[in-house]
Amino acid sequence: MEQLIFVAVFVTLGYFFGRRAEKKHFKSLIEREEQMNKLPAMASRMPPQDGEYDQFLVSGNVVIANDYFKTFVAGLRNFFGGKISTYESLLDRARREALLRMKEEADKLGAELVFNVKYETSNISGQGSKKPPIIEAHAYGTALKKL
Amino acid sequence: MEYQNPKLPENNVSKEHPIKEFSTLLIGTLVLVVVVSITLSLAGSWLAGLIPYSAEKKVASLYNVATHSDNERYPKIAAYLQELADKISIAQELPPEMKITVHYMDSPTLNAFATLGGNVFMFRGLLEELPNENTLVTLLGHEIAHVKYRHPIKSFGGGIAVAIAMTTIGSSADTTLLGDAGLLSTLQFSRKMESQSDLEAMHNLQSIYGHLNGGAELFRIFREARGPENESESNKLNQFFSTHPQDEKRINSFNETALNKGWSEAGELTPLPDFFTF
Repeated sequence: MEQLIFVAVFVTLGYFFGRRAEKKHFKSLIEREEQMNKLPAMASRMPPQDGEYDQFLVSGNVVIANDYFKTFVAGLRNFFGGKISTYESLLDRARREALLRMKEEADKLGAELVFNVKYETSNISGQGSKKPPIIEAHAYGTALKKL
Repeated sequence: MEYQNPKLPENNVSKEHPIKEFSTLLIGTLVLVVVVSITLSLAGSWLAGLIPYSAEKKVASLYNVATHSDNERYPKIAAYLQELADKISIAQELPPEMKITVHYMDSPTLNAFATLGGNVFMFRGLLEELPNENTLVTLLGHEIAHVKYRHPIKSFGGGIAVAIAMTTIGSSADTTLLGDAGLLSTLQFSRKMESQSDLEAMHNLQSIYGHLNGGAELFRIFREARGPENESESNKLNQFFSTHPQDEKRINSFNETALNKGWSEAGELTPLPDFFTF
């Protein structure tokens, strides 16, 4: 019984805090993405052929911890199968934040384009199914600065 | 060449509200757990019922049950209880290999129970409440009937099936179920099992004393011990989930059985022997 109450409290707290943090983060992501539109990031491996550029490796990295609510729902979902929508937002946020940080780094260096952008995602919570996932998203690419 | 990152539609995240997903999954899981547990418990108990009594006895003999009883310190009481149990065993027509062993426990707990291998435990706390031998025979007859109908092993079988399933899907199960503590703790019998044993106890009263007087007294003792609040209307839910049929119903079942079978509910009560004081 005691355990049930603990779980209920954690799930409720996780839901409210997690949801608040997520809303805030999405709002900030959309705003910053709009600002950073001036510096496009491309997955293309072919650099522009119209001039000479300085090149730098730029990268952005973010670590996001899951809240108890999301972990709980995902645990239940594991039982039935199907899309784990509570994790979708988590990974979407992580990738976009990582890309933004990479772009911000490129912007500071005075670049005008990042090409050959790649993503890596890893779970750094360690082994063991009991641990709530902690996700690392890493975006990196080659920034180009016109000479 | 023009490079740009236009504003993209927000379509990477499902629009479904997380609470909706949460409640659907939670309800689904609960229903699944309940259905699976009930099925496993029934299947396990059915399978366990097929285990021959000799095998059950072998398992029970692995635990040194006698070390937990106070029979040696109270030989007179133990002998008296055993004598009654043997008498009841004959009345119940137990097969010869189903030997009942009564264990007297010098403890204030208001309880008595039957477990694997025909071991029946009687606690001082309950025995000192009993007014006469008829009530004692009702109690012993009820517990012995559990053994007769293989209720302990069926209950174990059901419990073990559920425990194995729980351990398999990863949640922690009560592993003590399989240990020493499991054998000596009170087993949970279903309401059906309890009613079946009650009826058997009534048959014992009729065949030993020729009437049912004193039998219902046992459940009056339980009712009193539970306190008046349990009998109130507000506690319907509690009664629903409790495995023992409500005390009032059990008291009434003595009347009903007496009426149906044409047995008497009045008759001389046999006093308990003098040494049966605590």
